Amino acid sequence: MRSIRTRIEPLLGAVLAGAVALGCTTKVAPPIGERRELPPQRGGTLRTAFFVDVRTLDAAVAFDTASAAIEQLMYDRLVYYDDLGKIAPQLAESWDVSPDGKRYTFQLRRGVLFHDGSELTARDVKRSIERALHVKTPCPVPSYYENLRGYAAYHDGKADELAGVVVEGDYVVSFELTASDATFLHLMALPIVAPVCPSAGSTWSREWSSKACGTGPFSLVRFENGNVIELVRHDGYWDKGKPYLDKIEWSLNVQSFTQRFKFERGDLDYMREFSEADSQVMRGSPHWKGLGEWEVSLTTGGSFMNTELAPFDNRHFRRAVAFAANRPEIAAARPGHVVPQGKMVPQAIIPRTPDYPWQKHDYARALEEMRLAGYPYDPKTGEGGYPKEIPYLSIIDSYSQQAAEILQQQLARIGVRIRLQVMGFPTFLAKVSRRKTAPMGFAGWHADFPDPSTFFEPILTTKSIQEEESQNNAFFSNAAFDRVVDEARRTTDERRRLELYRQAEAILVEEAPWVLGYAYRYFELWHPYVHGYRPHPALSQNVRGMWLDQAQMKKTARARRARTTLALALPGVWR
Amino acid sequence: MIRYLAVRIGWSLFTIWAVVTATFLIYNVLPEDPARVIAGPQARPADVARIRTQLGLDRPVHVRYWRYLSGLVKLGKAPEGEDTTLVVGPLRVDLGVSYLKRKPVVALLGKALPPTLLLGVLAIAVQVAVGAAGGMIAAMRRHSVFDWGTVALTLIGISAPTFLTGLLLQHFMARELNLFPLDGYGATSTKQLHSAVLPAITLGLFGAAYYTRLVRDEMIVLLKQDYIRTARAKGQNETLVVLRHALRNALMPLVTVIGLSMGTLVGGAIVTEKIFRWPGIGSLSVDAIVERDGPVIMGVVILFSTVVVFANLLVDLSYAVLDPRVRKR
Repeated sequence: MRSIRTRIEPLLGAVLAGAVALGCTTKVAPPIGERRELPPQRGGTLRTAFFVDVRTLDAAVAFDTASAAIEQLMYDRLVYYDDLGKIAPQLAESWDVSPDGKRYTFQLRRGVLFHDGSELTARDVKRSIERALHVKTPCPVPSYYENLRGYAAYHDGKADELAGVVVEGDYVVSFELTASDATFLHLMALPIVAPVCPSAGSTWSREWSSKACGTGPFSLVRFENGNVIELVRHDGYWDKGKPYLDKIEWSLNVQSFTQRFKFERGDLDYMREFSEADSQVMRGSPHWKGLGEWEVSLTTGGSFMNTELAPFDNRHFRRAVAFAANRPEIAAARPGHVVPQGKMVPQAIIPRTPDYPWQKHDYARALEEMRLAGYPYDPKTGEGGYPKEIPYLSIIDSYSQQAAEILQQQLARIGVRIRLQVMGFPTFLAKVSRRKTAPMGFAGWHADFPDPSTFFEPILTTKSIQEEESQNNAFFSNAAFDRVVDEARRTTDERRRLELYRQAEAILVEEAPWVLGYAYRYFELWHPYVHGYRPHPALSQNVRGMWLDQAQMKKTARARRARTTLALALPGVWR
Repeated sequence: MIRYLAVRIGWSLFTIWAVVTATFLIYNVLPEDPARVIAGPQARPADVARIRTQLGLDRPVHVRYWRYLSGLVKLGKAPEGEDTTLVVGPLRVDLGVSYLKRKPVVALLGKALPPTLLLGVLAIAVQVAVGAAGGMIAAMRRHSVFDWGTVALTLIGISAPTFLTGLLLQHFMARELNLFPLDGYGATSTKQLHSAVLPAITLGLFGAAYYTRLVRDEMIVLLKQDYIRTARAKGQNETLVVLRHALRNALMPLVTVIGLSMGTLVGGAIVTEKIFRWPGIGSLSVDAIVERDGPVIMGVVILFSTVVVFANLLVDLSYAVLDPRVRKR
């Protein structure tokens, strides 16, 4: 037996080395077909995939990134975003706002048909919102609409109807607010309140998700959890001539490496969920030059510092950490996908100007702030600094873990030692949201809608502090900050709002409850026969305007067959 | 025999209860909040609190445990409109409703079970066929190149983790040669079988390698036994000697190991199904664990523990069929 092992161990090594070498030398397949300048064509099936599953497509319940991409195809809303990312009419032709900002009146478009053929009226708008905010509906975010008059009574089951939504005619509906709210139109653009077919009824039922329907350009024909979602063109769509595609097939739960294989084979027409390695390979390939683009990021990432716990209850200590963080170094771990960002609001929502507040790396000032905090550190001798290790909570197998490891090295240079505690996402959420529990950890936020308010109110104001389930993980409380953010929420003057949010950012830079660090973005790629798509400034994977050069698609099928034949004859050399 | 059977069934039920209780307690004492996972990381505290109340997660653990256990098995006919139970004779098994997919767990398991069974049966077929044939031939040609090659391959098969085997097969057999689908579960029976080939090989490879070694070693010992020598001396055909007298006895330990390895097969299925996007229990359980979908986790644990416990019971009972000496005892 021993002699056999002695003989086979080198063989095993050779086999594994060969397998690794084969994997390492894998080249990128070129795109299929050619790009031709043509007018938009109708027809064809777009095939794409998600890494995750979609739990439900009920507009009142689904509220995650994956389902949002499908929902924007199935459900039109009263208002939505134009190509520049600004609020624009969709099912509402126009709207008026009362002088006090507390009443919005929408004139509905006439002749809008649901997927089941019935016509949209103001009563459907009211029914759909009441259905979403009903006490028995498992809507994840009903409190977004707490500013509607009568919300509390209706949502608690004490009133039969939502008093703040008033039907004023077949095509006129009004919304009454308890206080003016500059973000109200953004809230009306969320899928939660999108009009749903009369078949949905006025109360939620779990069966409806598989036959969900609305007024969007595509209707649902097949939804299998973990497998596939199929949508077909809604022929009665109000925007005549659109959409262009006959059908969209969205495969679910597809691993990112499998997505790449499928994409190269022509089984997927468009993809965005590349692994880091695949993304670099595809972006670097001359074959694919000019065919992909970066999606606009609506995220902010960094680290929170719990202002109620030592040593972060010391403002100078927080500032030292913020000055010590070298953001380009942190971002370099995932070049392209992660971009340095020293402010809270993403570039896509408020672009940076030279005078805009920005947390920047300044090693000398970091050392000075350590001295002011009472923990002077001598980088030459390595003496001084904060005497204890600080636990840092991070999420396993995520970029937050990598970023924390780099930050750990940077903070060591000012005499601050952090100890990483890596855990699963649910555990992380539970720990960081409990008061006086986590001194420091990963912090990240994604825009609920493209407005600066979503980056301040839910995560940094005093009212967002809770004993448990606190979204304000830094437990940051600053009266001036609260005042500025509150005023910005209520004012409708865009210039004034921007100025107020600039002031809010300045307070954050000064007080440093977060180490503002970076923004994460996806790289999107499509075959040359896919037209009509550009990453949207406010929406993710908005494929509703896509169309396909079908002659080139047919060529795709022929090319694929030829490649397969060649592959069988000459495995490994077909590219 | 009846007393033996009753005691074995009793212990099997106790084991299932212990597994269910342990899983429930582990799931419920973790410092995590399923309501937060359901609502999403950015949901407001008031919305999370409402979901917690809706799901009964705001009650003490012992109350939740009692409610779960007492509602698990019911007697009598299902009331009108009840869709959360599985009817087994006079009993109704109620595993609740998935927190996230908002569908009855019995329906989710019912949908995921056939693909997993198909994959499991094919994987066991791969294991037994390769194991019995490879082990038998290697033992018959001991110290030959075939024997060494078989031992080398079994070492690779046992050492290679499932995710690596799966990825390599996917890369070469599906991506490069386009012989099989990259992933998924076909719409027709033929397509399902076609799609099952790569996952079945992936899942079966470890067992196949292990069984090959087991059968080979067993056969080497058996082929030296007196009764084999007697059979040969009587002039019986060598193939018959091996197949009828040696292989049959060599399969005895294989049957035991198949029963014991059900747990390993289930564990391997979780990874395999995820790689090949096979819509079985493995994929369902991975998603449930990641998303802390308690009712689905509990449903999967109950199903798997029942299958493993009763598979082992069946193996014990099958000894009596395969070995007359056990029957006499």
